[in-house]
Amino acid sequence: MSIRIFCPEGALGVQPMRLSARPDLLAGRRIGLLDNRKPNAGVLLARVAQRLAQRTGASVSLALQKSNAAVRCETDLLDKLGAEADVVLTGSGD
Amino acid sequence: MPTRDDPDGGPDLIDLTDESPEAVLALFEERGWGDGLPLVAPTEARVSEMLARRDPDEEVAVLPPRFGRATCQALAVNAVLAGCAPAVFPVVTTAIRALAGDEVNLQGVQATTHPVAPLVIVHGEAVSTLGFNAGLGTFGPGVRANATVGRAVRLALLHVGGAYPGRGDQSTQGQPAKYTYCIAENSPESPWEAYHRWCGVDAPSAVTIHCGAGPHNFHDMESESASRILEKGASAFTSLGSNNACISEGECFVVLCPEHAATIARAGWSRRDVQSFLFERARLPVAVFRRAFEQRRWRPWMQEIRDVEQRIPMTDHPDNYRVLVAGGAGKHSCVIPSWGVTKSRTLPLDV
Repeated sequence: MSIRIFCPEGALGVQPMRLSARPDLLAGRRIGLLDNRKPNAGVLLARVAQRLAQRTGASVSLALQKSNAAVRCETDLLDKLGAEADVVLTGSGD
Repeated sequence: MPTRDDPDGGPDLIDLTDESPEAVLALFEERGWGDGLPLVAPTEARVSEMLARRDPDEEVAVLPPRFGRATCQALAVNAVLAGCAPAVFPVVTTAIRALAGDEVNLQGVQATTHPVAPLVIVHGEAVSTLGFNAGLGTFGPGVRANATVGRAVRLALLHVGGAYPGRGDQSTQGQPAKYTYCIAENSPESPWEAYHRWCGVDAPSAVTIHCGAGPHNFHDMESESASRILEKGASAFTSLGSNNACISEGECFVVLCPEHAATIARAGWSRRDVQSFLFERARLPVAVFRRAFEQRRWRPWMQEIRDVEQRIPMTDHPDNYRVLVAGGAGKHSCVIPSWGVTKSRTLPLDV
């Protein structure tokens, strides 16, 4: 016998944000860094950004740190990245 | 078929040609839902019975990282799936409401590599009226209310919150408490005021959530002294492997068995005395902490200590030890370390 059951997920309370389209070229673009405070994340991101800038003609415009790896990024940091960078590098696992 | 993560939404109801448990489980496996165990089919009739007189559209919380709306209906669906009796549904909604508090930091709890799981603790009249096990084996299997309420909370965190392993929950190893984690306070055998009333919640029944590691047992079969018992609790908590070692604001739940609690209370100790004792005894030298961790989320006064032989506490305030009584006969108690960047929360039971 057939039955009908409810989907267990329910609706979304906040529509998911989508990433901006990636630029075709990095030349002339500003690269921002967001260190999530995982061990060595800042070192890794700085090195990747430096290599990217050298290879593409982009520039590293700013590097920011979250206050703690275990909490959300502060809104003012996101606003600053949005205003002062065209591309943002972030994230590093444990 | 679209899922509810699609911006346009998907169907609330799904047709299944076969009502067998195997068919429900197969559907959930296909969709990447569920906890891997068999489920009760959330039919319209069962969900309606679970809701009773609750407004299906009432939003209890929005659960990260998916940011799904934990409406009463969505929670009722997950309570049915978990096998809850309708009478315990208010415990599920209260626990989810508690988890949504800012101080809980649920997004971190859900997404971290740590094996943290929310422990649900039921207090007051609801323990006996709803059939929770506060006695022998309270953390273990065998009683429907404990087993299904903990599971319903986990299923809501999976389905509504999106904490699927690898797709939202990055826990390196997970832990068994991520299936179900629900106990009840054994107030009749506690020498102290009920935990929720001690927290200032003036209600006949209440629910606490604590986002922590698994319980770490400590036993003492022979002591007639409060300090000798609690030294073992302090020792169990003084571990460099715990997040409390590098995050000073973390709490530690201390769940004493009735016999240990009685011995401690016979010596004239209050709950506050237990907190103070653990704060003084669960310590390590500064040098040991500093050798173990380069990154420490400590209070500034802890960071500034120059005498490296000074012994400093595993957590930065006596109030971070949260003491209650649960369990039955025997002399086994436990400590439950915190994930760290989270605080427990106690709310009156939804009515």
